[in-house]
Amino acid sequence: METAPGETVLDALLRAGLEPPHSCRAGQCQTCMLRATEGRPPVESQNGLTEAQKAQGFFLPCICRPTAPMIIALPDDAGAPQEAAIREIEPLADDIVRLRIETGSFAYRPGQFLELIAEPGLGRHYSLASHPEEDAFLEMHIRLHPNGRMSRRLTDGLRPGHKLHIAGPRGSCFYEGVNKDQPLTLIGAGTGLAPLYGVLRDALQRGHRGPIRLYHGARGANGLYLADELRALAKAHGHFVYIPAALDAGGDVAALALEAEAPSAADSAFFLCGGENLVKRLKRDLFMAGASLKAIRSDAFMPAAPSA
Amino acid sequence: MSNLYERLGGENAVNAAVELFYRKVLADGRIARFFEGVDMDQQIAKQKSFLTMAFGGPNNYSGLDMRNAHKRLVEKGLNDSHVDAVLEDLSSTLRQLGVAEKEVKEVEALANSVRNDVLNR
Ligand SMILES: Cc1cc2nc3c(=O)[nH]c(=O)nc-3n(C[C@H](O)[C@H](O)[C@H](O)COP(=O)(O)OP(=O)(O)OC[C@H]3O[C@@H](n4cnc5c(N)ncnc54)[C@H](O)[C@@H]3O)c2cc1C
Ligand code: HEM
Repeated sequence: METAPGETVLDALLRAGLEPPHSCRAGQCQTCMLRATEGRPPVESQNGLTEAQKAQGFFLPCICRPTAPMIIALPDDAGAPQEAAIREIEPLADDIVRLRIETGSFAYRPGQFLELIAEPGLGRHYSLASHPEEDAFLEMHIRLHPNGRMSRRLTDGLRPGHKLHIAGPRGSCFYEGVNKDQPLTLIGAGTGLAPLYGVLRDALQRGHRGPIRLYHGARGANGLYLADELRALAKAHGHFVYIPAALDAGGDVAALALEAEAPSAADSAFFLCGGENLVKRLKRDLFMAGASLKAIRSDAFMPAAPSA
Repeated sequence: MSNLYERLGGENAVNAAVELFYRKVLADGRIARFFEGVDMDQQIAKQKSFLTMAFGGPNNYSGLDMRNAHKRLVEKGLNDSHVDAVLEDLSSTLRQLGVAEKEVKEVEALANSVRNDVLNR
């Protein structure tokens, strides 16, 4: 498809009879946002987006007048699935397993998520705890829901050596647009630790100098998985502090983190991951305490739609 | 004399105001309910659209667009008192940023000029 000279991508799509969602047509409301999977969108068409969005090729078609060819996709499009082989399924806690898989070339940033496809019609999103430069495999931490379809597959059917498919990566929960000297605060509960563990190691690897605090909440001490690894990292890096909170011992991770972080919220970069309620509450309260929304990256682990 | 949007500082002024304004709106018990349940990142982009429009900046919204954008809210009871509250939060944001009274009044008047469209009447 070609844009006429001076024509925006949105106008070209409309002219072609497509009905892309849009509203302000002035690059503000972000209703029409798309992603370039190949080619670089003009700088001005990314105005107002976060650094993480820019790095993934997101742009605003209503103010985009392309100067070179681009391949564009809807924001939620994860791309074509590729094959991956299971290398390990091991328990991390009573109801959490570590899944390690191997695949061909798969460029990702730690903290992003992928779609794990066990069979047609059974795809679920999982965040990446691994680091492309430090780990040979893609690593996920998966909470086993008693009647979950993917959960049951992981406990009853799938074994090392089995093949499945993955698509992606997606998501903006990665270390980008963070100032190396600002406080970096990671807050999560349950398997929300997975992306935070990836982001933490990426931040350390990229030489983050400001204080790093990781709050991890779980219902009981057993759910505070990777505690040994995190304590070792804290010992090795003087500017990193690990703060575990077990609910059955009175530790509410959200309350704990909010109280400690509110005074410096305006200066910090935040990563929030885990259940929807936790993420929403933290995001709102940190914003109200002065954090910039652009400095808050979050992934809420929403359940898949019933049919998916 | 340059236009209102330029006098206020253009896009930088919108960026400086948007989070302050959004915090006020969310903390304003009179209107907070209209802004709940919506993704905050999507919502703040809409707030930028609102401010750009109120500042007299570049936008392509028609009266019909304003009607459609607020139809759902009118069904939930949006009325004059809520528009007043938004205008109050807007003015107090601008004053907090040190905007001169003359410009505050101009912004208020501009936002107020779409009141009937916003309220779908
Ligand atoms: C962006 C994103 C990232 C994610 N990352 C991770 C991750 O790193 N680790 C991880 O363990 N999960 C993650 N999830 C959640 C994951 O995608 C699945 O929803 C989850 O594993 C359940 O899948 P299932 O097939 O086992 O259960 P389903 O068959 O989908 O659901 C079974 C039952 O469990 C309930 N249920 C499912 N999920 C939840 C939940 N989160 N809270 C409460 N009840 C629930 C359902 O309502 C249903 O009744 C992520 C989700 C998203 C959207
Ligand atoms: C005073 C004049 C007002 C103006 C000029 C105005 C302007 C706008 C604009 C430009 C948008 C973005 C539309 C889009 O691109 O989708 C918008 C959306 C919105 N406005 Fe207003 N607005 C006004 C009053 C109000 C009031 C009084 C309320 C509620 C108390 C309100 C609540 C909202 C909400 C919740 C949205 C988001 C709607 C959605 O996402 O679907 N607005 N407004």
